[in-house]
Amino acid sequence: MNIAWYIGLSAVIFCIGASGLIARRSPLVMLLCLELMLNAANLSLIAFARMHGNADGQIFALVVMVVAACEVVVGLGLIVAMYRNRMPIDIDRISELRDPRD
Amino acid sequence: MTTLLAAAGQVHGPSVEYGSLLPILILAGGAIVTIFVSLIGGRAAQRLLTPITAIVTLVSAGVVFAVRIGEPDISILGGALALDDVSAIFDLLFVSAALCASVLVWRSDTLREAGAGEFFSLLITTVLGMAILVSATNLVTFFLGFELFSIPLYVLCAADLRRNTSLEAGLKYLLIGSLGSAVLLYGLSMIYGATGHTDYASIARAVSLPALRDDPLLLAGVALTLAGLAFKASVAPFHQWTPDVYQGAPTPVAAFMAVATKFAVIAVLLRVGMQALGPAREHWEVMVAMLATVTIFVGNIGALRQESLKRMLAYSGVAQVGYVLAGIVAGTWLGVYAIGFYLFAYLAMNIGPFAVIATRERSGAGDGMRGMRNLGREAPWLAWPMTICMLALAGLPVTAGFVGKLLLMQAAIDGHYAWLAVMIALGSAISLGYYLRVVAAIWMPSAVRDEVFGDGTRSGTSALAGAAPEADAARHPELVALAVTAAAASVLFGFYPRPLLELARILAYAGGQLIF
Repeated sequence: MNIAWYIGLSAVIFCIGASGLIARRSPLVMLLCLELMLNAANLSLIAFARMHGNADGQIFALVVMVVAACEVVVGLGLIVAMYRNRMPIDIDRISELRDPRD
Repeated sequence: MTTLLAAAGQVHGPSVEYGSLLPILILAGGAIVTIFVSLIGGRAAQRLLTPITAIVTLVSAGVVFAVRIGEPDISILGGALALDDVSAIFDLLFVSAALCASVLVWRSDTLREAGAGEFFSLLITTVLGMAILVSATNLVTFFLGFELFSIPLYVLCAADLRRNTSLEAGLKYLLIGSLGSAVLLYGLSMIYGATGHTDYASIARAVSLPALRDDPLLLAGVALTLAGLAFKASVAPFHQWTPDVYQGAPTPVAAFMAVATKFAVIAVLLRVGMQALGPAREHWEVMVAMLATVTIFVGNIGALRQESLKRMLAYSGVAQVGYVLAGIVAGTWLGVYAIGFYLFAYLAMNIGPFAVIATRERSGAGDGMRGMRNLGREAPWLAWPMTICMLALAGLPVTAGFVGKLLLMQAAIDGHYAWLAVMIALGSAISLGYYLRVVAAIWMPSAVRDEVFGDGTRSGTSALAGAAPEADAARHPELVALAVTAAAASVLFGFYPRPLLELARILAYAGGQLIF
C-alpha cells in the first residue's frame, strides 16, 4: 500500500484535532482533540519509519505516547481542581484574564 | 514486517556514561529527594528543610554546569545528548532563574497552597527538562526534554489551587502549550520523514544534499517546528496566551517562565536551527526575520495600554524575544555573542521588577500600576530597583540592556539584516512609552500625575492600595535584596560588561562550531 495514504490519513486526523481544539468549548473535549493531534503525528512517524526501514520513528512514537498520557493527566487534574472551585467548565466563560477594554 | 524485525534486531541500548550525566542525575535525584523531605518532616520541614534541599540541588547542579564550561565537548548516551559550552552556559542561566524563583516563592502563600515539596520538585523537574532540551542532539530527546519542562510548568501555573485566575492560567497554558507541542511534533515527524534520521548530524547531512533542497515535506516540517517553538517562546502571532498566563500564574512562576522558557527556546533554535537545519538556512532565515519584526511590534504596542504590571511585562517579554531573534537571524558568530550577552542581562533586568511586584502583591496591593504610586517616597528600596530595571529594559545607556541591544543591532547589520536593526530601534522607542509610565507612577507626586494622566477621578490614594510600602519592604528582606541585586547587576554590566562578554564569547565560540 502506498505510504501517501497513511500520511494523508494522518494529516486529516491532525486537522480534525486542530479544528476541534478551536471550535469546541469544553476543556475535556479539547484534551481529546489534542490527543488526536498527537496520535496523527504518531501515525505519520510510524508510516515514515516503515518507509525508511529504520526503527527511529517507532521509538519516537512510543516516547510520544508516554508524553501524551502525562499531558492528559495534568489536564484532567486541572479540570477537577476547577470543578472543585465551582468554576464553569466552559472555555468561553473562563475569561477573567483578558486585556483591558476601553 | 521482516525488514522491521531486522531493523529492531540492530537496535542496541546505548552505553550510559554516569560521570558525564552527573548534573542531570543531580537534578533528577534532587527532584525526588525534595518531595520525600517534605513528606517525612512536619511543619518545620515544609517551611525550611524543603526549600534548603531544593536550593542545594540547584546550586550543586549549577556548580557542575559552571565547572564544565571550557571542557572539551562530549557526546553521550549514543549521541542523544551533547555536553558542550552551549548547553553548559544555558544550563547556568536556567539554574540561576530557578534560584531567583525559589527566593521569590520562599515565604509566599503559593508554597503553603501547593505544598513546598511539590512546588520545588516541579521547579527542579522543569530545569531538568530544559537541561535535557539544550543538550539534545536527537529529535526524540529534544521532544522529551521539551515536554519535561512544559508539563511541570502547566502545574506550576495553577499552583494557587484556590485562586480561580491561577487555574484559568494553568488551563490556558496547558491547552495552548499542548497545541504548540502537537504542532512541533508533527513538524518533527515531517523532518524525520524527509530525511529518514532523528539525530541532528545525520539530518544536517541529509538536508545538505541537493535532492532535499526544495523538498515540500522538509519545508512544511521546518515551518511547523518553528511554529511549535514560537508558541512556547511567545513569538507573535503565537503569543496570545502569554499575558493571560503571566497575570494569572503565581508571580514567582511568571518570573521563572518569563526568562527560562524563552532561553530554552532560543537555545533550541541555536542548536536545531544552526546544527540540524543549518544547510537549509536560506529557507527559515526569512521566516524568523519576519516573525521577529511582527513580535517586536505586537509586543511593544500591546504593552502600551496595560494596567496590570505582570501583563505589561508579558508583552514586554514578547518584544524582547523579538530582539533576541535578530541574533538567530544573523546566524553569525556575532549573533550568538549578542544573544549570550543579552540573555544574561535580560535575566537581571526581568527578575528585578518581578521581585518588586511580588513584594507589593504580598501586602495586598496587587500587581496593578496603582500599587506603584508614591513608591518613590515611601519605599525607595523598592522604587530604585524598579526604576533601574525599567530603564534597562527600555535600553537606556549605561545599563546592560543598552549594551545588549547595541550588540544585537550590530549583529543584525553585520548579517545583512540592517532593516531588522531599524525595527529593534523603533521597537525600543515605542517601549519607552510604557516603561516610563511605570517610572512616572513611582516618582511623580499625585497632583502632577493626575494632571498629566488625567486619571485623578478614578485613582485611589496609596493608602487604599494595600498596606504601606515601607512596612512590607522591611517585612520581605529577601525580595528587596533580590530586586536590589538584579538592579545592581543591570547597571554594573552596563558600566563594566567584560565578565558577561567573556561568557558570551565562550558561547559564541561553541555556537560557531555548530554552524557548519
